[in-house]
Amino acid sequence: MRDYWLSKLFFDLQSPALAAQFRADPQAVLKNYPLEERVKRAVLEHDAPFLAQRTNAYLLRYYFFTIGMKDAEFVQRLNG
Amino acid sequence: MASLVGAFAASHGPLIVREWDNVPPAQKKRMAEGFRELGRRVAATEPDVLIAVSPDHWSNFFLDNVPSICVGVGEVNEGPPEPWMKAFPHREIPGHAGLGMHLVKTALAQGFEPSYSHRLKLDHGICIPLWRMEMEKLPRIVPILLNSIEEPMPSLARCAEWGRLLRRAIESYPEPLRVAILGTGGLSHSIGEKTMGAIYEDFDQETIRRFGGAEQELIRYLDEKLPTHGNGSEEVRNWLVAHAAAGSRGFELVDYVPVPKVIVGCAFAAWRV
Repeated sequence: MRDYWLSKLFFDLQSPALAAQFRADPQAVLKNYPLEERVKRAVLEHDAPFLAQRTNAYLLRYYFFTIGMKDAEFVQRLNG
Repeated sequence: MASLVGAFAASHGPLIVREWDNVPPAQKKRMAEGFRELGRRVAATEPDVLIAVSPDHWSNFFLDNVPSICVGVGEVNEGPPEPWMKAFPHREIPGHAGLGMHLVKTALAQGFEPSYSHRLKLDHGICIPLWRMEMEKLPRIVPILLNSIEEPMPSLARCAEWGRLLRRAIESYPEPLRVAILGTGGLSHSIGEKTMGAIYEDFDQETIRRFGGAEQELIRYLDEKLPTHGNGSEEVRNWLVAHAAAGSRGFELVDYVPVPKVIVGCAFAAWRV
């Protein structure tokens, strides 16, 4: 399935300005996206398997790259 | 009339830029030489225009609108939007509006319905090969963005039909342009999936081998194998476009080098047209 607003968040975070804002205060950015609470929580908790079911794999990877997670940890989480 | 003077393919991948300095020297040398040799061969065809076939990596399009194929018909294309592509030396890359629109009109007249855009961003999918090919002078670029990152995607058979269509369109363009085609992406890699980092060398080698055989067999093989060999492998669609444009007679492999540090089975190919 595709969660439109989750995907939109990850798409928008390709913008360096928004990414910086998100890294400084993720809640402030998240409030602009009408996400379900459980989806918001998964974003904040870096729940890769949950998020992977709801968005495109490239967008998912962009998100974890944006927040500065190493690929090895990202893959480990995906397989967790 | 215009003519097709060459067809080529090369891998791309963000880590080819971001991890360039960390690639083991022997692999880096082969990868660099593969790109450079391809650049030499493209330049030797003296193209006025290079049609670059690549996916859009969420640079132009989002879920609001996911075109299967989008042809760039602008006078100018924008350079790569990715922050880590800042050092790419071109912020604007001239297009060829006349040829771009001719491709669209020819397609529509022959039962294909492409999207088109008067201004596209050329992301790393096109710009990494252009950069690493180290061509002194870039030809004009007509981008064709072919969806190979978000399901559902154009069928492999349709991609081959697009290749043949491009050739007919090029050869019916009234100006004496020299036109080359560059398909980018592949071979095997996996992005944002549980298998991220995997390179399937056996698949890559067999795919390379089958490009030398019957097109139907190649497509049958890819249809069966693509779903289990990394989502990045879907980009072989762009190779199929170049392949069919060149007459589906197989390519000369410039090199194949699997590079774990950039998580791509990197391949470079040149077709005789």
